[in-house]
Amino acid sequence: MAKYIVNRLLASIPVIIGSLTIVFLIIHWLPGDPAQMIAGDDAAPERVAFLREQFGLNRPLWQQYLSYLWDSLRGDFGVSFANSQPVLDRLLAQLPATLSLAAMSILLAVVLGVVLGVLSAVYKNRLFDYIVRVISLLGVSMPKFWLGILLILIFSVHFQLLPAIGNGSFKQLIMPAFALGVTGAGMLARMIRNSVLEVIGEPFVVTLRAKGLADRVVLYKHVLRNALLPAITVLGTLLGEMLSGAVVTETVFSRQGLGKMVVDAINQKDIPVIQAAILVTAVFTVVCNLLVDISYSYIDPRVRKSS
Amino acid sequence: MKLSTIRYAAAVFGVVIAIAGCSGNTETGDGAGPQTTGETSKPTPGGELVWALAGTITNDSLDAHKAGFAPTTRVMRSLYDSLVVELPDHTIQPWLATSWEVSPDGKSYTFHLRQDVKFHDGTPFNAEAVKFNFDRIKDPATKASISLNEIGPYESTEVIDEYTVKINFKTPFAPFLSNAAKVDLGFVSPTAVKKYGDAYPQNPVGTGPFKLAKLTPSTQVEFVKNPDYNWAPANAGHQGPAYLDKLTVKYVDEESTRVSVLQSRQVQVADIIPPQNLVALKADKNFNVQEAELLQVNFSLYLNQQREPWNDVSMREAFRAALDIGTAVKTIYLGTSKQAWSPLSPQQFAYTPSLENTYKQDVNKANEILDRLGWKMGADGYRSKNGKRLTVEFIDTQGNREKRLDLISIFIQQLKQVGIELKIVSLPSGTYSERRLKGEYDLVAGSQFSGDPDILRQLFSTKGPVGPNNIARANDPQLDQWLEEGYLETDPEKRKAIYKKVQEYIIQNVYSIPTYVFQYSVASVKEVQGITFDYPAWPVFYDAWIKK
Repeated sequence: MAKYIVNRLLASIPVIIGSLTIVFLIIHWLPGDPAQMIAGDDAAPERVAFLREQFGLNRPLWQQYLSYLWDSLRGDFGVSFANSQPVLDRLLAQLPATLSLAAMSILLAVVLGVVLGVLSAVYKNRLFDYIVRVISLLGVSMPKFWLGILLILIFSVHFQLLPAIGNGSFKQLIMPAFALGVTGAGMLARMIRNSVLEVIGEPFVVTLRAKGLADRVVLYKHVLRNALLPAITVLGTLLGEMLSGAVVTETVFSRQGLGKMVVDAINQKDIPVIQAAILVTAVFTVVCNLLVDISYSYIDPRVRKSS
Repeated sequence: MKLSTIRYAAAVFGVVIAIAGCSGNTETGDGAGPQTTGETSKPTPGGELVWALAGTITNDSLDAHKAGFAPTTRVMRSLYDSLVVELPDHTIQPWLATSWEVSPDGKSYTFHLRQDVKFHDGTPFNAEAVKFNFDRIKDPATKASISLNEIGPYESTEVIDEYTVKINFKTPFAPFLSNAAKVDLGFVSPTAVKKYGDAYPQNPVGTGPFKLAKLTPSTQVEFVKNPDYNWAPANAGHQGPAYLDKLTVKYVDEESTRVSVLQSRQVQVADIIPPQNLVALKADKNFNVQEAELLQVNFSLYLNQQREPWNDVSMREAFRAALDIGTAVKTIYLGTSKQAWSPLSPQQFAYTPSLENTYKQDVNKANEILDRLGWKMGADGYRSKNGKRLTVEFIDTQGNREKRLDLISIFIQQLKQVGIELKIVSLPSGTYSERRLKGEYDLVAGSQFSGDPDILRQLFSTKGPVGPNNIARANDPQLDQWLEEGYLETDPEKRKAIYKKVQEYIIQNVYSIPTYVFQYSVASVKEVQGITFDYPAWPVFYDAWIKK
């Protein structure tokens, strides 16, 4: 097991470095000069040149690349082009809001998805099943900003139950997390339903029931464990989606977060911020997928043995 | 079975949508109690006001000299004071300066300052502070842009004595007094700038009625009352500290969310109400709506005159003749914004009403010109000449701000009728800036807030301030000359005459096509009273109070 983990860790390193490199190249090849953008359209050429020097943009590309890698490894993300503040500070300030939103959304997605998916499979082809299937289809199809605005209209304006904006309290987290998590819930519900139905049909389940085990035990102890495997894979993808979907949700609900910070930075070609945000996202995705892989090997002994 | 389930689900869904739709109407009738008018009530001090801002504070920077976008400037008005205040009739009244003299050659202004003014950090406001501020704007390290444009041909500041200061310009500069009333030339504390250096924008210190309590990046900024404040401008409603104890500004860029948080009373004030909600809010007795015209160059279309075929004034005329701007504006803004006829907005002092209703849609004229110039209508509904289709590429980066792209979409339909293809190309701001600088486009559009018609020099002259701007890409010596005259002339009547010529010339030659006049709107719950606007239409909270 330990060997498995170490293997996966080693495999992550080129992934992280690779994504950093690609982002670095893309940013530098995009049209638009960051110094010009910060200085403004009508700035004198001398000021633009001054800024280019200040940002180190006149150095050869390979030099900028290496210094970027070296600095990032040491945790020095430099200073934002836009407001001369250390990027690390900005990042850390935005992280808690995004993490709490992502965590809550995933939790919601998993809880809703698993519960609905399992029940849907158990009550297959009954009314409940149909309702869940329609709702999960809606969940996957509804655009997050539309759902967000709808939620605000219903719960904030009409029923005056929940605050529409802000990111301090739990109450402010409910609607955004729901808007963000509903897609994942929909996907998971359908996936788990199919997966459970598949497993229930397998010969070993027949054997278990023939043995005399209670239906509930069969379901929760044996079937679920097997059925969850494909869902766990999806979870890894969902986590990535959370981060990107967060941008829209953060805009609609006026929340702090990484997503909005990155979009602003991209608009301004604030290179240090973009690079730092990508690094954080890449590491986060890699770690999440690593955890997914590890949990795989925990749940499924076959994976453990074969590695 | 399947069908009935679907119907059931559809019914549930329909109910949900219906509830959402209903909540768009006014709140449950608040008929209880007498309707207090509030105009003659005495202000009650105290309380916190929460403002949902349309926009964000870019880079969390509250540095007056780095003023850029309008939302930030609107917020900074509460932090910083100016030397003078401009009234709606364009007269200049004292504020931090009690009186002033202009030298006979028009190049020097001597201000006599109030002696009781202090910055939020206790630093005294005096001639040295004024000198520090103006020199700071000029200093390239500050990266000032709008503020720098507004001091024009600034040369130096002399400290005559502790409360007398003389500001010198290289040439006469008529817009100066009007600019001196703006936030962009507001005063920052020299002590704070020296103390915080590059971090000053997040730690602003001014002399205003409110001071910074807490800044939460990308989210909100909290101000508290400045208890020592006693130097309100001549046109203020009262003297002494502000009534409000606390002013919190939350950034809510998304317009539907902004209206929702006002309607749900999570905030008490929201600005830039979209047209579809404006009518409803105005009719709702639970809310007040105030509007002020934002002094600016109206959102206008600029055809790239340096590119064929738009270098030919006849082609530009044909383009404009195809448009029915009045109908488009009415459709999009539901009557809340009027059509603009001049580059300048109507409240500007040199605005000329002579241009109103001087042109309208004339599809026949457009077709006639295009036919005459050899653009043949093709089977696909678009004209072409020498194998090249008549396509106008419109580059944009701001998105559907103020529903501008919706307006352009209507123009697309109108232009199609005469066989012109208008395409919207949305670009990230980096790419947009580059293409605009290089002239790789057929059409751009934009607005520019400014209180002085000298802004036309920045937009239309080849000799404009601070490097290349000239969004119109004009190259017209006559226009350049008139704009220089307007820049140097100090007599207001003479300036009006010059700018009248300029506006008429611009419209005659279709150097720009103005579209709508933007009304800045502020909606508040009915308990909030006393919000006013300063001359360029930035909201002022100094006299605001909350009825209990």
